[in-house]
Amino acid sequence: MIESGEKEKLMELLRERLVECGWKDEMKALCRAYIKKKGTNNVTVDDLVHVITPKGRASIPDSIKTELLLRIRAFLASAAL
Amino acid sequence: MMSRNSMYTNPKPCKHLADYKLRHGLSGYNLLQEQIRTTPSGKSSVKNHQTEIPRCCFCNGYQKRLYLCLICSSISCSSHTLLHSQCENGHDIAVDIERSELYCVLCCDQVYDPDFDKIVMLKHLMDLPRSGNGVDVSAGRRSSKRRRLCSALELDLKKTKQLVSMRDLRAKSCYPLGLRGLNNLGSTCFMNSVLQALLHAPPFRNYFLTGQRNHEVCRKRSSDRLCLLCDIYVFFSAVFSGDRTPYSPAQLLYSWWQHSANLASYEQQDAHEFFISMLDGIHENGVKARSPIKDTGECHCVAHRVFSGQLRSDVTCMSCGYTSTTYDPFMDISLNLDTGNCPSTDLANKSLKPSDNTYVSTLLGCLDLFTKPEKLGSDQKFFCENCQERQDSVKQMSIKRLPLVLCLHIKRFEHFPVRRMSRKIDRYMQFPFCLDMNPYLSSSVVRNRFGNRMFAFEGDELDTSTEFEIFAVVTHSGTLDSGHYVTYLHLKDQWYKCDDAWITAVEEEVVRASQCYMLFYAQKMLYYKANEDLVCQPVSPRADPFLPIAGCC
Repeated sequence: MIESGEKEKLMELLRERLVECGWKDEMKALCRAYIKKKGTNNVTVDDLVHVITPKGRASIPDSIKTELLLRIRAFLASAAL
Repeated sequence: MMSRNSMYTNPKPCKHLADYKLRHGLSGYNLLQEQIRTTPSGKSSVKNHQTEIPRCCFCNGYQKRLYLCLICSSISCSSHTLLHSQCENGHDIAVDIERSELYCVLCCDQVYDPDFDKIVMLKHLMDLPRSGNGVDVSAGRRSSKRRRLCSALELDLKKTKQLVSMRDLRAKSCYPLGLRGLNNLGSTCFMNSVLQALLHAPPFRNYFLTGQRNHEVCRKRSSDRLCLLCDIYVFFSAVFSGDRTPYSPAQLLYSWWQHSANLASYEQQDAHEFFISMLDGIHENGVKARSPIKDTGECHCVAHRVFSGQLRSDVTCMSCGYTSTTYDPFMDISLNLDTGNCPSTDLANKSLKPSDNTYVSTLLGCLDLFTKPEKLGSDQKFFCENCQERQDSVKQMSIKRLPLVLCLHIKRFEHFPVRRMSRKIDRYMQFPFCLDMNPYLSSSVVRNRFGNRMFAFEGDELDTSTEFEIFAVVTHSGTLDSGHYVTYLHLKDQWYKCDDAWITAVEEEVVRASQCYMLFYAQKMLYYKANEDLVCQPVSPRADPFLPIAGCC
């Protein structure tokens, strides 16, 4: 799937969908809140990633999950032929 | 070398990055440049081999963030970067493969280096098909900015200070100069409200009060024809005379009717339309009166010098990334209200976003909406020069050059030509008294498109001011057909409500709670200078108390 470049395409699509539905903005707001709480000099990227990842994973809208899964299945089906 | 915006400070490098730079300089960056690939959407990644999946050299994993060591090019995942740095002494700086961002292993944090970002940006730009008038890495033109500054200084306040000593004796109150009610001449509150705002736009006011408009020599007046500019001059003189009794701007109304025959009636008109037509009238009158100026593309009539700015519109092809850029002048910006509605029409998403009943519209939200990238519909496919066919594209607006006075118009009247009806949107919109327009400038917007880069943009001027202060708010209440316009003016730290002939001092909460329709912001330095001189003091503080001052006793 990576060879054909399909993965890249799907990643781009996913990014687009997440921005559209406001997920990215929500994550940004969460990051800002966390940084405010800890102070700007006390946070590293690793910190943020560890804190945000579980929340991010949990808050992805089902519609997006469904859409992506369908596309992946469709691709695998077509590639298997 | 690229110029740098002084307001945009680069973070200090950590000790490890500084060490690396000392020892290796730019060699590591330059070698990396070859391997960077950028997608049309702007994402830059390090792609060593097109088909091989990069894997961590310790655990063979590929699902976490992967980092490429700048010294030996070995790849580690986020769990093992520290291990690598322990194995090899000095291998502390790495690059996040997917994002092309620098990472310091010992600090466990992202670090920034303008030299690195410059190299990434160069590669990005080289990879893009040649944009039409697009992002230009060369240093910007300075001459136009200098000219604009000179123009602003011309409209300077110094001359107005002379006026203080020539005040009318009748102005006994401590109200600021130029505060005077305007009589309603028959549904002319739309005119009165805009005039109040114009009276107090600092550079505009100064132009008319300091006699730059030569009333005596006006050719039109001498041949007994109407001249809009002269009428405005007379109007300003009357309002700033110190007489506080309400004034009837009949001559000005008549003069304006002559110019905008289609709007001449006793019906209520739209204040914004009046504003635009008034500026248009000033421009036309001004241009004829002055001798043709050498073609710089900029108009020097007072309307343009005060209100005109420049918008930048970027249309990007979604297939190849080619961007077409155009610049258009503007006298004001019309904004759609931001309603917080998510564009996705998926009903299953109800849990994610609150309904727009609880969302408060704000001016910043509207400006965000204005500069947000907008996907053009499939019926508006853009002809891409690079692909040589019509493609789906994304459009993004930004402000290339800010005016001295910024007029923001909130679109509250919705017209439905098909159904032949119109309605008014009463939604409340919150607006700030101090506005920083930096995030909406082309330099900021375009910079954001390239991600987290320390990048100097063409045209970044060190002395660009983006801070504005509000001085007038035109509000509308009522319905589309029968409504009323009221203006709130901010003079000398006090808000005044100007309701046709009635002027009252009000608290700022009243203004904040009002339903704004047009907002007038002036560049901060102009606003503060302007307010210095509006004081009516019995004796000018600088004058020698023993010398008589004309007009005062």
